[in-house]
Amino acid sequence: MSTRISASLVVNEQGEIACMECGHALGPAGEPWKQAARLSQTPLQGAAGEPYSNAANVLLRRFFCPGCAALLDSETALAEDPFLNDIVHV
Amino acid sequence: MDPITFSIIRHRLYRVIDEAVITLKHVSGSAITNEGHDLMVSLYRADGSLLMGGVGFLHHLTSAAEACKAIIRRFEGRIDEGDVFLTNCPYTAALHTSDVYLVAPIHYDGELVAWSACFVHVYDIGAMVPGGFSPDSRDIFTEGFSSPGLKLVSGGEMNTDVMDTILNMVRAPEMVALDLSSMIAANNVARERMVALVDKYGPQPVDQACQMLVDQSEQSLRERLRELPDGRWESRQYFDIEEETYRVLLAMTKKGDSLTFDFSGSSEQSKYGINCAYWAAWGGFFAPLFPLLCYDITWNDGVLRPISMIAPEGTIVNCTRPAPISLATVGAIQSVNNAACVCISKMLSASEKYAKEATAVWHGSHFAIFMFGQNQKNQEAIGIMTETFGGAGGGRSFADGVDVGGEIPNPIGRMANVETTESHFPVRYLFRRATGDSGGPGKYRGGTSLEYAIQQHDSPDGGIHYVVSGKGTKFSMSDGLGGGYPGAPCNFRWVHNNDAAEAGKNVNPFATSLDQMTGEQQSISWGVFPLMDRDVLYVRSDGGGGYGDPLMREPDKTARDVREGSVSKGVARSVYGVVLDAEGGVDAEASMRARDAIRAQRLGQEAAE
Repeated sequence: MSTRISASLVVNEQGEIACMECGHALGPAGEPWKQAARLSQTPLQGAAGEPYSNAANVLLRRFFCPGCAALLDSETALAEDPFLNDIVHV
Repeated sequence: MDPITFSIIRHRLYRVIDEAVITLKHVSGSAITNEGHDLMVSLYRADGSLLMGGVGFLHHLTSAAEACKAIIRRFEGRIDEGDVFLTNCPYTAALHTSDVYLVAPIHYDGELVAWSACFVHVYDIGAMVPGGFSPDSRDIFTEGFSSPGLKLVSGGEMNTDVMDTILNMVRAPEMVALDLSSMIAANNVARERMVALVDKYGPQPVDQACQMLVDQSEQSLRERLRELPDGRWESRQYFDIEEETYRVLLAMTKKGDSLTFDFSGSSEQSKYGINCAYWAAWGGFFAPLFPLLCYDITWNDGVLRPISMIAPEGTIVNCTRPAPISLATVGAIQSVNNAACVCISKMLSASEKYAKEATAVWHGSHFAIFMFGQNQKNQEAIGIMTETFGGAGGGRSFADGVDVGGEIPNPIGRMANVETTESHFPVRYLFRRATGDSGGPGKYRGGTSLEYAIQQHDSPDGGIHYVVSGKGTKFSMSDGLGGGYPGAPCNFRWVHNNDAAEAGKNVNPFATSLDQMTGEQQSISWGVFPLMDRDVLYVRSDGGGGYGDPLMREPDKTARDVREGSVSKGVARSVYGVVLDAEGGVDAEASMRARDAIRAQRLGQEAAE
């Protein structure tokens, strides 16, 4: 029995954070998980069409499941800023 | 108290507010109030605490409570039946000087039993620039008239010396008088209806019902919080003013039945008026909290009790006097709205029961344009382009964001039709429509934004001027959720009709898109600019944030988006992995290959560091 902790993640029976789609484990519950994901970090400017073209110097970070490539989370960031980390206690 | 009587009194309180809002709108003559619904009416307990939050901009519900409390402190022993007090000082309670609070005690048999309070963004407040948004101000002293509290009406009689002093300090005094009159009328109606309620049920039962209502809200919210998992969620908002970048950082911690909003690490206060004061930040996160967490709970002081805030002094979310603050509502407050929407939605997403209540950010950046000048009727016209309230909905776990769908902090916000605006200002629209590729991609995409372009028309002065106070041109402010992309940023362009334009290539007066405009284009986002001769102002608002992985979106929905112009073919292919055939239908095999290729590309990325 897994427990939902976000729109894309669960905590599995082993107490690990896991992808909701494929169950790939991303580390222990209650800890940051983004380090274990695949990261794509690209300029927001080219993310999704012309209306994004005036975004300057800001990155679109996307965190993918290493197991199934599902997009688990995204955030915008300046290069020097850390990941946003969410901690859910189950 | 029997539950039926309690329920009747509760609903009567709602109706008191409804009727006061209708009154306010009927008396006010400004588009920002009548068309944009930049307003609020609420009821408060005798001690000034929130009793029944009304509609309009929700960050005012709690700030007006502080306004009532400030008036109670300042006028102790001098609060009488029929009085109406005014405060608009941001360092006392208000959000910025333009949003004037009128608060009125409600007496029954000589006893103070409640307060009513309301606000409108008044036509003018005497700041450096007409309309109140004052981008060139570097302190509050140049942001117009500001009062920590004065008695405008005494025992039912207007204090004309006070009223005349205010009107002597503002532009278009007849319109400001109408704004103030509308709020007096709204308070009068609220008082009359509350007195009738007390008259019918008696002061003690009404007081008991009000206390029960507050206690019930506290209990209900605490129960809801206990149903949600404990945790800590982070969000971050950037915004750009001129060449400077500011951050609003939020860490929201939920433990048991309490919530803490911590803004530590946010930028130091700015030299520009985008700062907000303590009570504005406090109201700023309640604006999304009320509808997202308390959609079925009465919005009153009981909701406030489980909540605490950390907002370090001297930061952009708790600036110190005399920092400029006139643009707070479209500056730091809106970033607080957005950051709180993200954290609350991430918390809701962690619950099977409440995940459907979560949403990506709606309308992350107001793209406020304040016009001022003589209109075609030789009247002084000041006011906002109400498209700023048009917004764009955020994607949710079950549906796309609503195209041009408004915003969460004002559930009744709306925009005027083109003809209304053209009748008030000497302008004509070249076009106004939804913008393709502006909604953040996702399994459920963000709502599309709008774009419009205007030229002066029939102006006695050859044109008009406007204030741009736009953030969100370099950064997306409508964050996505669950992997969804943020909505597209805003864009403001001044298309010149000047000597630099080649002869015969001046701005095309019949252009139906930015691409068709032949004049020199200049990106703008801050300051006062002319709309003269054949200049054009082009504005594109920000799209709503997306929800979930775009590769999980049903291909047919993307094909429909392309047909309707919400998404381009290129983005359908590159972001959604949807390939269309010659008829615009989904090419299933090609789309499967495209999605497989995108997934392979994702896994080929470097591991997160």
